[in-house]
Amino acid sequence: MLFRVNDLHVSYGNIRAVRGVSFEVDEGEIVTLIGANGAGKSTILNTIAGLLRPDAGEIVYNGVDLVPLDAHQVVQLGLALVPEGRRIFGNLTVYENLRLAGFQLGADELNKRIRRAFERFPRLEERRAQLGDTLSGGEQQMLAVARALVTGGKFMLLDEPSMGLAPILVQDIFEMLREINAQGTTVLLVEQNAHMALKIAARAYVLETGEIKLSGASTDLVRNPEVQKAYLGG
Amino acid sequence: MDATFIQQFFNALQLGSLYALIALGYTMVYGVLLLINFAHGDIFMFGAFMGVLGSWVFGWGFVPTLILSMLATALLGVTVERVAYKPLRAASRLSAVITALAVGLLLENGMLALTGADPRKYPDDFFATQVYQIGSVSISTVKLLVIILAFALFVALFLFVRRTKWGMAMRAISYDKFAVPLMGVSQDRIISLTFAIGTGLGAAAGILWGVAYPASLDTYMGMLVGWKAFIAAVVGGIGDIRGAVIGGMILGFVEIFVPYWGQGIGVSSTWRDPVAFALLLIILVIRPTGIFGVARRQKV
Ligand SMILES: Nc1ncnc2c1ncn2[C@@H]1O[C@H](COP(=O)(O)OP(=O)(O)O)[C@@H](O)[C@H]1O
Ligand SMILES: [Mg+2]
Repeated sequence: MLFRVNDLHVSYGNIRAVRGVSFEVDEGEIVTLIGANGAGKSTILNTIAGLLRPDAGEIVYNGVDLVPLDAHQVVQLGLALVPEGRRIFGNLTVYENLRLAGFQLGADELNKRIRRAFERFPRLEERRAQLGDTLSGGEQQMLAVARALVTGGKFMLLDEPSMGLAPILVQDIFEMLREINAQGTTVLLVEQNAHMALKIAARAYVLETGEIKLSGASTDLVRNPEVQKAYLGG
Repeated sequence: MDATFIQQFFNALQLGSLYALIALGYTMVYGVLLLINFAHGDIFMFGAFMGVLGSWVFGWGFVPTLILSMLATALLGVTVERVAYKPLRAASRLSAVITALAVGLLLENGMLALTGADPRKYPDDFFATQVYQIGSVSISTVKLLVIILAFALFVALFLFVRRTKWGMAMRAISYDKFAVPLMGVSQDRIISLTFAIGTGLGAAAGILWGVAYPASLDTYMGMLVGWKAFIAAVVGGIGDIRGAVIGGMILGFVEIFVPYWGQGIGVSSTWRDPVAFALLLIILVIRPTGIFGVARRQKV
């Protein structure tokens, strides 16, 4: 097992946002965590990334316990989060965003990864000297993903990458995730857009008010009446 | 152009460079922490007094004393951040400001207790002054030293912030600190580095101040100068390093040229500070975020 979360509890003051969540991701998989707004999806991802400390529970990646690590240390293990709302640095150029994403890398590895990121996203290379603020929403999302590829590359966590994008761009982003996954990156995808997420993920977990309500193969969940009613508008 | 005008121009450049060096410390810290380090004027004083230590106590010349002062003051700056400000990062802005004021008082009075109330100056041979005569304009090597060294430091800082990954991290933190750790960057280290550079530049200003304006070294020297440099940073657009340089220069020029021109029309030089501050206020009324400042996005 590449990655495992066990009985995770996270709270903000006395708001208990995550209440005993457990799930697993195998090497090479795309797994999705779907849930409505406020279900606790971002809280889970931010806790995994080391931005929040859990009250209790285990987070194990490659046999390493992530709970005591700070966010910049988690990154060193090859795990990268594409945060909600993209959070690219608008006052830095496209190139500088990628350069910063490889902060811990040596020059050779850094250049190799940036080159690969530009090969994957030629649009970004054309805009390499442009400030992040001046990119379109779709380009910003590409940059956010490219940044995570440079930083980690082995296990990518994405927090609602489809948010705020036109449907056609959402298609692109999901297609690109499939490609990145095919090239060896394990993906944990958090989405409100259950439709698309269930299409590309092999397995899914359904999160409701901080607890996992359902889990299973995406093909089964798509047919589940509860899921259809709550998340697929059926 | 007449000779006194040119001489005043160099005086203004010198004073402006010094304000700019100090203003950089305010602006850099504000950029990464949104904290106004009200102790920075006293950090500047501390740097000047490290010069007293280097020159009088160790008998060192200008260059080693400058380096000693910058390093020792940077260490002080990093320590102050770790001990006094870091525990308050999540606290209200007001607690941090009050703490900064308290740190300033501690430095002023600590230095007073250590060194006494008599004003100090550096040894006469600390920086051997020569005066060059170019036509009817005379300019001292001290003035050239201050201006050239300050500009060298500005250029070095700009290159550092523009070109290196640490500089990129500083800019990134000032834009959105949430995502910075996700890049594998330790926020604490970038903050420490920012304090080290900002206070190191303040120390350089302290030494140069003591060279440029002899017998001006007392433990309260940082109060008024610190306030002025802070205002210069705000006028330039706090958080922006170009703004600190421009703001410092504007203040230096106003302070020199108001009495210079005022004299001609019979205005007393005591109007220097009121006119300078009024002008800065006007700039802020026209551009509330300062010359280079942008309204800050509120990010969670
Ligand atoms: N910084 C915060 N402070 C207090 N409560 C928060 C904070 N962030 C999220 N919450 C609360 O925690 C719960 C889960 O939020 P979140 O993880 O953002 O959900 P999701 O990403 O699924 O929309 C919500 O009830 C939300 O209001
Ligand atoms: Mg969310």
